[in-house]
Amino acid sequence: MRATEILLALVFLQQSAEHMALHRDERLLFLPRAALSTLLLAGIHPNLMICGLMLHALIVLHRFQGPYNGGSDKLGLLILFCLTMAHLAPPGVWRELALAYLAVQVVLSYFISGQIKIMNPDWRSGRALTDVFRFSAYPVSEDMRALANRTNLVWSASWGVMLFEVTFPLALLHPATLIAALGIAVMFHLANAVLFGLNRFVWIWIASYPSILWLQDRLIGTA
Amino acid sequence: MWNTLRLLLPALIPSWRFFRTVEASPRVQWTLTTRDEHPTDWQEFRPRRNRRSVTEAITQLVWNPRWNETLFLVSCAERIEVTAEPHAVAEIQRRVLADLLRSGSEAHGQVFQFRLVFVDWKDGAQREQVAFLSKPHMVSAKVSS
Repeated sequence: MRATEILLALVFLQQSAEHMALHRDERLLFLPRAALSTLLLAGIHPNLMICGLMLHALIVLHRFQGPYNGGSDKLGLLILFCLTMAHLAPPGVWRELALAYLAVQVVLSYFISGQIKIMNPDWRSGRALTDVFRFSAYPVSEDMRALANRTNLVWSASWGVMLFEVTFPLALLHPATLIAALGIAVMFHLANAVLFGLNRFVWIWIASYPSILWLQDRLIGTA
Repeated sequence: MWNTLRLLLPALIPSWRFFRTVEASPRVQWTLTTRDEHPTDWQEFRPRRNRRSVTEAITQLVWNPRWNETLFLVSCAERIEVTAEPHAVAEIQRRVLADLLRSGSEAHGQVFQFRLVFVDWKDGAQREQVAFLSKPHMVSAKVSS
């Protein structure tokens, strides 16, 4: 739990700095988050800091009428909510359930994402990823749109992503496979950051990994 | 309370359906005209650069505020397409205008409008469709940045 808190505090500091750099009103909005995250990082009353960050997250949610940065902000909120529940719950089974819920959701984030892709003929043929490069808003520079013409590469990448995502839950069977799968997952998020500018996804997903490592050890151990 | 739950629940019980389908993708375009002029000169908001260096790619792993704001505007554009949400309209207008003024554009006293163009690919060619046109907005001397 402490590892997740430290990583989440670092992620929130990075996000707050990005917000505060752009607009004056967002400087005021994200200053409390930066302050609470710094105190959380220092380990000062982590229970109070987590609850404070949760309340602040609700204010931010209202300010933007939803997540500012899609899936990465959703996962940030989920981590924060599960940590809040873990702090508020008495030690024992309820605390563990809060952390387990987070771990299961992170595993599902890969599995469901892969499952809905593999059921889609456009993903299986490589057409969907081609379209992402060809006309979506995500490629960070125009030269990356040329990847849409590399059909074999795009088809291989589509299947690589889909197979990795749908088989991710199997990695929980052994600590070594889990470490390997998390390593591949980091590479996947880094690729998304380089190609599509989704830098916040890298750090927030990494922040959730201690919960999966804990759950694997709790349920299966070294087998 | 209900609104808080409406905003919070998708994060607590996420669907995790990233890129399930690839739909038409929005571009934000803006124009500045005089009061009586009909807008014709539409400019794309923050058009992509042709290339990006390796150094920039590495730096942007930890520092990418402008791109993340651009992605937020994509989310706003998608919300407008579904529900014409006034909050999303206001966010796009405020942020595009702030960007224009920061870049030294002489926008004061001019009429600002933005539109959303949705881009997709059909029969081997790119298609563009204007899905939303904002109301004309007279730019005052002071815009929140």
